[in-house]
Amino acid sequence: MSKRIGTDGSLLHSLPWTLGALAFSVVPHLQFLPIWVTAIFLACSAWRWQVERKRWRLPPTWIRIVLSLLCFIGVLASYESVSGVGPGSALLAVMAALKLLETKERRDQFVLLFISIFLIMSSLLREQYLWSLPYLMSGVLFTMTAWLRMADARKMSVVQSLRTGGRLMAYSVPLMIAMWIFFPRIATPFWAVPIDTSGATSGLSDQMSPGDISSLSLSDAVAFRVNFPGAIPPPQQRYWRGLVLHRFNGRTWTGNDPSFDTRARDDVDYLGESVKYQITMEPTRQHWILALDMPSEWDRNQRIFMASQQQLARMQPVDQRITYSVTSHPSYRLNNQLSRFSSDYYTQLPGNSNPQSVELAREMRASADSSETYINQVLRKFHQEEYFYTLQPPPLGNDPVDRFLFDTRQGFCEHYASAFAVLMRAAGIPARVVLGYQGGEINPMGRYLIVRQADAHAWNEVWLPERGWFRVDPTAAVAPQRIDEGRSGAMFDGIGASWGLDAPSEFLYQITMTWDALNTKWNEWILAYGPDNQSKFMEWLGMDDPDWQKMMLTLVALVILLILIISVLLIMRYRPPPKDEIARLYRKFTVAAGVDPAIGETPLSYFARLTKEIPELAGAADDITSLYLDARYGPSEMASVKALQSAVTGFARQRH
Amino acid sequence: MQQGNTLEKLPLSGDKLKVALVAARQSLGNIILGKNSEIALALACLLARGHLLIEDLPGLGKTILAQSLARVLGLSFQRIQFTSDLLPADIVGVSIFRQESGEFEFQRGPIFAELVLADEVNRATPKAQSALLEAMEERQVSVDGQTHSLPSPYFVVATQNPSDQIGTFPLPESQLDRFLMRLELGYPNEENERALLTGTDRRQLLAEVGPVLNPEVLAALQDAVAKVHMTDPLIDYIQALVRFTRESPDIETGLSPRGALALVAAARAHAYVESHSGVFPDDVQAVFASVAGHRLKPASSSAYRTPAELSRYVLDNVHIP
Repeated sequence: MSKRIGTDGSLLHSLPWTLGALAFSVVPHLQFLPIWVTAIFLACSAWRWQVERKRWRLPPTWIRIVLSLLCFIGVLASYESVSGVGPGSALLAVMAALKLLETKERRDQFVLLFISIFLIMSSLLREQYLWSLPYLMSGVLFTMTAWLRMADARKMSVVQSLRTGGRLMAYSVPLMIAMWIFFPRIATPFWAVPIDTSGATSGLSDQMSPGDISSLSLSDAVAFRVNFPGAIPPPQQRYWRGLVLHRFNGRTWTGNDPSFDTRARDDVDYLGESVKYQITMEPTRQHWILALDMPSEWDRNQRIFMASQQQLARMQPVDQRITYSVTSHPSYRLNNQLSRFSSDYYTQLPGNSNPQSVELAREMRASADSSETYINQVLRKFHQEEYFYTLQPPPLGNDPVDRFLFDTRQGFCEHYASAFAVLMRAAGIPARVVLGYQGGEINPMGRYLIVRQADAHAWNEVWLPERGWFRVDPTAAVAPQRIDEGRSGAMFDGIGASWGLDAPSEFLYQITMTWDALNTKWNEWILAYGPDNQSKFMEWLGMDDPDWQKMMLTLVALVILLILIISVLLIMRYRPPPKDEIARLYRKFTVAAGVDPAIGETPLSYFARLTKEIPELAGAADDITSLYLDARYGPSEMASVKALQSAVTGFARQRH
Repeated sequence: MQQGNTLEKLPLSGDKLKVALVAARQSLGNIILGKNSEIALALACLLARGHLLIEDLPGLGKTILAQSLARVLGLSFQRIQFTSDLLPADIVGVSIFRQESGEFEFQRGPIFAELVLADEVNRATPKAQSALLEAMEERQVSVDGQTHSLPSPYFVVATQNPSDQIGTFPLPESQLDRFLMRLELGYPNEENERALLTGTDRRQLLAEVGPVLNPEVLAALQDAVAKVHMTDPLIDYIQALVRFTRESPDIETGLSPRGALALVAAARAHAYVESHSGVFPDDVQAVFASVAGHRLKPASSSAYRTPAELSRYVLDNVHIP
């Protein structure tokens, strides 16, 4: 006899459910966790499964201790911390996997199911996409089903367990909605979880060095979405101002970190009509806020301010999706006066860089009779000479503007904006580069504008006396369609190609647009439900001066009420277990026969008495009695509840 | 005879077993007239591997029933007449010194038959009684330090006469518990009695009846009985009955867990004998008086004196789930 005995295989039928529930809950985390966590999870799951199947022994305690220590050290090494969403979920996933190695009985599996519920919920700390909701709901449903499979000693079919699990979840939906509506949102949550900032940032870079990168990838990730209550401005006006770059070292354009500038707004004279809109911006982890050129009013709730050079920025970086409203004036006049100091600053070029370009600029300016003519000549040069718009320009090396203007003549917006600014400054015209987005695509499903990362753009602002700073887009001179049409054509070519299609597919376009519209609604209605919207909603519901105590009290009262309602519904819904359906049919039969069975009278003796009292019932009663006996006391394969049901129903109808 | 011969050639499938059982029941019914339910009970008792106690007045066919059971079931048969001077050695056997071999040789007693009829078991002294009862329980005997197995199958059918009280040693409750069932035969009805009077002599009839079963078929039958289906509601019913015997003020000692097991085994066997799809409440009720009767002790204040009355009282007061 061996001293240690292997597993008895008693978990064989429930273990797949536990493993499935764990897998369900770990999967949303895996893409954010180091690869070895996935490996550990898969290895432990496979190991535990083999242990159960082959009746192996579970690993001894010392192995488990060593493994736990190693994993803990691994998490520490990967994150240099054990707090926060990343290390926390990594630890949870790893420990759940290791817990498998000491799972002996049902109780351990319950612990694992608790962990998977926790893991499922913690994935919301990372992101709250539209698809998260159905995925997490099905995760919870699966875990509930696993629970039922384990807890219920009676042999339930999988479908039955699933149905019961679904029903339990359905009961919790009203509670869920009530909590979502009434749980007090606080602007700076005291339960704040350190946000994972290690992930890649997307959005505008705060500097520009044309020629360093030799290709621009077209990311179709959404940068922001814009809702216009009124008409959507035409493509030519859709310049989404971001940040301004004004320092040039011969290679790279840089700007300043945003700082509050009280005069920035006063420098603008707003002309013409205003456009009001609402922007929902994806997280960038940067301070810049985008708005249509030129913003006049903006959302103070989001702590947005205007920095120098009329850049909008926010106090905290945008590390969550935010929604803000802005009013802009497409026509405006900026800085009629420019101080001598500023004028010098905006015409500065580093001493000995790009000499050819500086020379060219001086020649052209000398031959032009005014600055305006000169600007037009430069634009015409881009337009008429052999300059090409391409997303894969050759690298430029030293003196990139010279190389671009005289040799390669290929580039995208950054190249043209940089070259244009250099040509202006060399001719003594103050100029700077503006980074932002241009264009955007109207979603026909939702009547809003989607601006993607691929719409990122760079253009220039030049200053002329009498006109102030005004926008010049040299890229428009090279590739007007880039401005008129936006980049969407190119983008959907890409999508089609990745699906193996050559041309943009109308069907795919429809799907993408519908999905985006759904996402927008989700952002608008669910995720945007923050402190402001909540207190607005509370006021609309009739709560005076809503504060968190009132909401909490309402929530508690509502939860108690809902639980009461659900309990009453459950009590009303209660049906005795199905085996009693047979007993119920038999009772129906005795009631229809009109003779009450005595206490302790067996079906056969009742039948004998019944046929003595009412002999004409003998035939039907005989059938029903034997069907009943087989159904209730025979093996289940002989039970024919349907036959009994039809016999009893027929009998009852006849007796009436 | 013919049935016996055909049986030997047939594979022992479920249907064949049932056919054999029906034939055995018929044979028994031909000899003992009008006692169908008692025959079913006696068969059920043997199929449940239990021993049978028949308690009734003399002349009601106790011995004939035991003999015909042995005959029809194809078992070897021995009869031990219990008397007050019966010694254990008379039952079990003795070791005799053989001069020619110079060794003791064990002379098997009558207990070494497959079916033993212990007639008027209450007439012998407790010492002789316990020799039999121990053998029944252990299915082996120990003599002079040597253990001898009893044959298999092994049945004891004991009879006792309830009316004789003088000079008898009634079996104590603990000994009665060794018998799965206790049967009362009772008088035959008019019609059957007339057939009995006019028909062939029973002993002659018995001699003409051949074995219908054999030990192999019997073993297969016993295995099949253990597999008879029993549903939850029926187990609920048995538990309710047992609980009632323990809680009722009319009953001093209720059914023990062994008694409950006996009830389950007997009900299964009865369901098999009656060809039911599973154990029905009717099976439980049919065996209840025989199985529980001798295990229940009425309270001194109770109006129900006899085992039959007491059993009826229990059955009439427990709901069938």
